[in-house]
Amino acid sequence: MLKVENIVKKYGDVTAVDHLSFEVDKGEIFGLLGENGAGKTTTFRIIMGLLDATEGKVTLDGKKIDYNVTDKIGFVTEERSLMGKMTVEEQIIFYGALKGMSEEKSLRELDYWLEKFQIQDYKKRKIKELSKGNQQKIQFIQAVMNHPKLLILDEPFTGLDPINVELLKEAIYDLQKEGASIIFSSHQMEHIETFCEKLVILVKGHPILEGYVKDIKKAYRKKNILIEGIKDTKKLEKIEGVLSVTKNQNTYEVKIADEKVTDEVFKTIRNDKITKFVVEEPSLNEIFIAKVGEKNEH
Amino acid sequence: MSTKLWFLIHHSLKKKLKNKWFIIANILLLILVVGIINIDSIISFFGGEFNETQEVYVIDETNEIYPYFETNLNNTTTLLGMEKETKIERLEKTEEEAIETIKDSSKIIVLLEADPENYLSAKVTSNQYIDSVFYQMIVQALSETKQQIALERTDIDIEEMNRIMSPINIERVILDEQKNSQEENMSIVMGTVFPTIILPFFILVIFLIQMIGAEINEEKSSRSMEIIISNVSPKTHFFSKIIASNLFVIIQGILVFLYGALGLFLRSFQGNSSFTVVSDTIGELWNSVVSSSFADKLGYIIPLAIILMLLSFLAYSLVAGILASMTVSLEDYQQIQTPILLICLVGYYLAIMAGMFEGSTFIKILGFVPFLSCLLAPALLILGDMTILEVMIAIGILALFDGFVIKYGLKIYKIGILNYSTDKMWQKIMKAARTKE
Repeated sequence: MLKVENIVKKYGDVTAVDHLSFEVDKGEIFGLLGENGAGKTTTFRIIMGLLDATEGKVTLDGKKIDYNVTDKIGFVTEERSLMGKMTVEEQIIFYGALKGMSEEKSLRELDYWLEKFQIQDYKKRKIKELSKGNQQKIQFIQAVMNHPKLLILDEPFTGLDPINVELLKEAIYDLQKEGASIIFSSHQMEHIETFCEKLVILVKGHPILEGYVKDIKKAYRKKNILIEGIKDTKKLEKIEGVLSVTKNQNTYEVKIADEKVTDEVFKTIRNDKITKFVVEEPSLNEIFIAKVGEKNEH
Repeated sequence: MSTKLWFLIHHSLKKKLKNKWFIIANILLLILVVGIINIDSIISFFGGEFNETQEVYVIDETNEIYPYFETNLNNTTTLLGMEKETKIERLEKTEEEAIETIKDSSKIIVLLEADPENYLSAKVTSNQYIDSVFYQMIVQALSETKQQIALERTDIDIEEMNRIMSPINIERVILDEQKNSQEENMSIVMGTVFPTIILPFFILVIFLIQMIGAEINEEKSSRSMEIIISNVSPKTHFFSKIIASNLFVIIQGILVFLYGALGLFLRSFQGNSSFTVVSDTIGELWNSVVSSSFADKLGYIIPLAIILMLLSFLAYSLVAGILASMTVSLEDYQQIQTPILLICLVGYYLAIMAGMFEGSTFIKILGFVPFLSCLLAPALLILGDMTILEVMIAIGILALFDGFVIKYGLKIYKIGILNYSTDKMWQKIMKAARTKE
């Protein structure tokens, strides 16, 4: 289990990470959300031991993360950390050796993953000759080839098309089944939403929301109601607690400030020929924008 | 951790040695070194003109001067080492007929005429320019001939005349007991042999500085550094770069030495060279080395110089590695490395000009300064301006400097390699050096 306890990182007067704590159990996928510069990469660097925290500590299975345990950690950086002049094979052997793997074992793993990602022909190709998406796959392979106990994925889906995103997701689920603790950051909320059980949202280094995704959504009072078959939306807009009414093709989306407003909305339109009335929890994207907006206003 | 260190060293070294440019550069270097040592044979092989005999026709209108001139010209060409064989022949023709004879050739006509006022006058005719050195030999032979004729026409007897013409006996005395006349030849050694010996070291230092910078910057700019440093410590990474680069330049140095040995080995099969300048020059240099007592000193100069060079390779590579860690691109590194290259250049010039500053305390002090001592201290030792003990002190200072750079440099390196901003770089360097472990 990864345990991040109250970490703070300061650069002079600037606080990059401000009292952040979270835990990631074995076989759990954890999401780290935040705008650019929110402190996600700094947090990852502290976990990897690349940066020393000003305060707090990070442990993996109760032990401080140092070079005795890094062989069992996989790390995908936001930028592609690959050497363009090397071939795919050379790069994987190189990173494998740094994780204490023999050349044979690295090549065995490489063959397995290349086949899984359907890019077997690229084994002898130079990294710089590969597309961005394929480079991202190679970066992913270097992180998972050692079957890590802890996998850190900083924007892993950047540059991938939807088909490859699915391939990568499938691979991440496989590692989850193996019992790996996975930390994940992405700007694309739909990935976090479908992927992570727990998350923390960082704003300017400070955690403003944390916990299980379903609890966060439940606790968020604002809801969306999807309605089909209403004719007059003006009467809806007059209801206290209705924030907005927007039309998307035949469906109207009514945003409400509190779940309690649902009854009032239903009463107002029940005489119309309603074909659909669904109360939805807000998307993570909405929660994120709302929370970040609130924090920035303060 | 040591397994990873050796893997990184092996990987870095293999990458350098397998690089196609290393192979191409060494093929060129081999051809160049062997070729320069055997340049005479190569020129001769391609039909060079060094075998050609320089023919000189002499028209002696006085009928008495030719034997003197012939003897003097032969003596001069022999003494000054004329590479071409010279053939002198008296021609019983008029000047016009002689000019017709030498048409479309490199032959030279020397017309000797009696001069009532100046004993002798001459006219030198050729189709083309004459080699300036050979022309000077003709002029010298004519001057000597004139002096002989002039002396003969005075009442001086033969013995007296021989005494006048014979070379002067010179006894060289140096009052300083620590110096001997043999060491005066050392200036020849310092001017010719020493720059040749230290030039490869100077080039290898430049090579070393640029190689480390390029390698670290490649890993930084590709962001591979984050993955590398998350698996091996900055200390391991730093030492892998230093050891691999130093091993590489040592291998390159040994290869250059072997190319030179191969060139000399091939030369030994040539027998008498037709182009004697190279062999004569090498012979003269060797004689200078032997007579200057330089050869006697080699027994301790070489080991001391090798230790200084190895420690200096280490010093240059440590500083280059630390500076490279703080830069974010090769362009930044090119700028930041310039002062180190200039220091090395200063060391090189001070070393080859060390003889000019004989006894200078300032130059002697510079001989103890790390970066300069590797080039300057051996030069001062050869010249007798530094003792063995002083050179050993210079080695000690250099070793301490290396230790100091490792201690504080590692702190800077640890911060630097994951730093991607050049803002306030020197402040960051100083701050990093002050941090506690």
